[in-house]
Amino acid sequence: MTASPPSLKIRLKVNGDSYESEIDPRMNLADYLREELALTATHVGCEHGVCGICNVLVDGRTVRSCLMLAAQADGREIRTVEGLAEGGKLHPIQEAFIEEHGLQCGFCTGGFMMAICEMLERNPSPSEEEIKDVVGGQICRCTGYNSILRAVNSAVSKMSASRP
Amino acid sequence: MAIEIPKSLAELPTTKPRFVGRGMRRVEDAALLTGRVQFIDDLVLPRMLHAAILRSPLAHGRITNVDTSRAEALDGVVAVVTGEDARRWSYPAQSSPDGWGVHCIAGDKVHYVGEPVAAVAASNRRVAEDALELIEVEYDALEPVADPFEAMKSDSPRVLDAQESNVMMDRTFTWGDVDAAFSQAPHVFREKFRWNRLGANPTETFGCISQWDPMALDLTIHGSIQSPGMFGLGRAASFGLPSNKVNIISQPHGGSFGGKGGTRGCDISCLLSRKAAGRPVKWIEDRGEYLLSGGSQAWDRHYDVSLAVDASGIVTGLKVILVDDLGATGEGYGAISAAKPLAAFTGPYTIPVAQYDLKLVATNKLPCGPYRGMGPPPHFFVLEQMMDIAARTLGEDPAEFRRKNFIPADQFPYTIPSGNEYDSGNYDEVLNQVLALADYEALRADQVRARAEGRLVGIGVASAIEPGVFDWNAYAIVGMPGTGVPEGATVSIDVLGLATVRVGFSLEGQGQYTLVSQLVADYFGYEPEAVRVVQLDTQSAPPSFGPGGSRLGVAITGAVLGACERIREKMSRVVAVLMQTEPENIELMDGKFLLKGAPGAEMTVAEVAGTMLARSDLLPPEIDPRPEATHVWTAPGRTPADEEGRAKSYLTAAHAVHIVQVEIDRDTGMVEIQRYCLADDCGTRLNPDTVEGQTEGSVVQGIGAALLEEYVYDADAQPLCTSFMDYLLPTVFDAPKIEMVAVETPSPFTPLGAKGCGEGAMHTTPAAVMCAINDALAPLGTAAREVPASPNRIWKLLDDARGGAESPDANS
Ligand code: FES
Ligand code: FES
Repeated sequence: MTASPPSLKIRLKVNGDSYESEIDPRMNLADYLREELALTATHVGCEHGVCGICNVLVDGRTVRSCLMLAAQADGREIRTVEGLAEGGKLHPIQEAFIEEHGLQCGFCTGGFMMAICEMLERNPSPSEEEIKDVVGGQICRCTGYNSILRAVNSAVSKMSASRP
Repeated sequence: MAIEIPKSLAELPTTKPRFVGRGMRRVEDAALLTGRVQFIDDLVLPRMLHAAILRSPLAHGRITNVDTSRAEALDGVVAVVTGEDARRWSYPAQSSPDGWGVHCIAGDKVHYVGEPVAAVAASNRRVAEDALELIEVEYDALEPVADPFEAMKSDSPRVLDAQESNVMMDRTFTWGDVDAAFSQAPHVFREKFRWNRLGANPTETFGCISQWDPMALDLTIHGSIQSPGMFGLGRAASFGLPSNKVNIISQPHGGSFGGKGGTRGCDISCLLSRKAAGRPVKWIEDRGEYLLSGGSQAWDRHYDVSLAVDASGIVTGLKVILVDDLGATGEGYGAISAAKPLAAFTGPYTIPVAQYDLKLVATNKLPCGPYRGMGPPPHFFVLEQMMDIAARTLGEDPAEFRRKNFIPADQFPYTIPSGNEYDSGNYDEVLNQVLALADYEALRADQVRARAEGRLVGIGVASAIEPGVFDWNAYAIVGMPGTGVPEGATVSIDVLGLATVRVGFSLEGQGQYTLVSQLVADYFGYEPEAVRVVQLDTQSAPPSFGPGGSRLGVAITGAVLGACERIREKMSRVVAVLMQTEPENIELMDGKFLLKGAPGAEMTVAEVAGTMLARSDLLPPEIDPRPEATHVWTAPGRTPADEEGRAKSYLTAAHAVHIVQVEIDRDTGMVEIQRYCLADDCGTRLNPDTVEGQTEGSVVQGIGAALLEEYVYDADAQPLCTSFMDYLLPTVFDAPKIEMVAVETPSPFTPLGAKGCGEGAMHTTPAAVMCAINDALAPLGTAAREVPASPNRIWKLLDDARGGAESPDANS
């Protein structure tokens, strides 16, 4: 018996690099990034859209990569955790998470960082409420969130200090 | 020279500001934050296959036929296994009470929804899942039993054919003259409580890659495994292999909290690998599988508790009747959770006598496994409710009522009726600190005002013990044999003087590698970042249990400092030879070996290591020239359990008092936490930042337990919570700001005086939140006795208190 699913060609950019792939149409974006591109910093926590651990940025917007088909990413620009640090230097959000102990096991942290990254790129000085709204979209089982809130606040001040 | 592990920070050989005892950046973070840490699902092995598991839709049923032929014919499918393969090639689980283990794939009968009935290994997960749909299983449905009280009746359906009843254990343990205490007490309080099943839910589920070598007949398993050594022994037992033929490589993993489980899935992947002629088989449990049938569920309990109190308000006796619903087979060490309360049965109080009537019962639900705290959190929930009931009835303040029942600071070490010995403590001081932090009097004054306005504001004060550094003897009553849990570390110094530490456990989140680097840095005068910590597989690592039972911080401190001591001892001899003196005249300080009384006569650690490695010809033959040592630490002075389960079991007893203020919304039954304050004493804080992090995380898990988390089953034992839509984990909106203060009463028995603290606040938080809720409800004459106190339950209590007028079933 043969399953031989039809394959589909997609072209997209991930962290600035261009890719062209033949994919199984039912493959989701998280699996595509992890299995086809070996970009495994995007983790999967629930595969049903609740935990936010699989967050990536698609054209600058936070997206649950477990709920988006890879086919839907055709022609788009994706950013993942692998794209945060540049030139051997951690992103200020990453620095802030270290300083404020915003992670324990670190499995969830990528999802938080991508959503926070989107927020801070849109609005460099978010209110407490906006921060909570963004952090509230994800689940962390280790930290109890207080240290993540501290990390976001510290990222806000780091990023505003580095702005000309 | 004898090996003496430093008992306090001051004994570390450094005059500089110490790294131990200070918060610092974690050495593990940069790799975690950039995605360079390899979790199990990130790992790909050559020729690897992917597994998917077909699971029972019935809670109870007989399997009459399994047809896998269509699945086997699907392109990309390499192996299919069923219960027949499991029976041919493996043994039933060893982690159940005696006689209750079953095979990893169901044979004639399914015992709960989600039990594996067949599995497929294929070229990728999608094909493997397609193949599952082609497997045909025929069942004859049997009547299930979901309620443990029903299950205990003689005419109940029997969960296991091989057992005569559903009662796995029924025993009463009595410590002291309980009958006298209760018959003489002027006040006896009795109440029933319900703790519903909940569980760990680490953000990463279980996963593994198993490889059966058909030639060598050995097994290699990579996995997100909390306790690799134990896990390896379990797999050896599953497959009848010699223990040295199983090698476990634990990947860093996304939390565990005891609930990683996964042994069935792992055994199934081993069977698949065997059938696939030894190709590696990856099995990644998805969240649905985790919630339905993974290591997800714990503590499904019905309590009936009595407290005897004398005329002056001193508690003189405690009786606990526990009906513990362990689910279908009790596999995964769920029974341990019922035994562990013996380590702290009477909490922080001087209660002199106690009784535990324990019934472990099987039902057609998922077997209960471990979760953070491993049993005491529900026990302390009921104990603290009883303390409040007594205080409220006797008109005493709950904080002061607890204080007068506390074990006094001058009575440590203190042996409790159930046999364990508490190492040290200053419970009064912990209470004083948290009362001051919360400004308790002001809180009470605010409450009076709020009540006058008709608001339901409550303040909870709860106090609990966290048994730390577990030992197997704590679980003797449920059949765990033996005493002693080893933790080893190997410290090596290279030719340039730099240190590498080899350990047997992987990253899990508690920051243990940072602790190891802090310890070695202080000992030999490095910067922590310069110390490398590497993890070895079980066939290469020093003996290790890893994290669990609030032990690793203490145990790894003992192992690392022991290894450092051994190196110091060796190096002192080398230096003595080179300086032509006796080793007693050589002292290590700030990374240098000094000749006592001869300023300037010194060698750095690097010089000594270089000499040992490059010029061993200069050394007498009796000196081992490797600048390296392994030390295996075990807790001192543990004793075998007696008939009534009494033993010196957990080495340390950390203590905490939490004060919580809540307000209940009369219209919705929602509980809002308005203030969260705690004081805790876990002895010397080796890294205050990580202790604080563990505490914050544990408080929020405790809030989840008290208010949100519950695996609901219907009357036919069908699970209703199979996604994060139904099983509610706390988000940032449920996490209050947590104010904390530390008291440090060092343990006299441990390296550096530290106590186990990883499970932490989970012991106290659910109790504290429930005390606060009941304080808020007290003016209405009602009380919440069931956890979680979800809005529907609280609303129902409020409605009943109003006379039930608004209840939807008031008219029925
Ligand atoms: S994995 Fe995508 S939301 Fe949880
Ligand atoms: S750090 Fe472990 S889940 Fe968030």
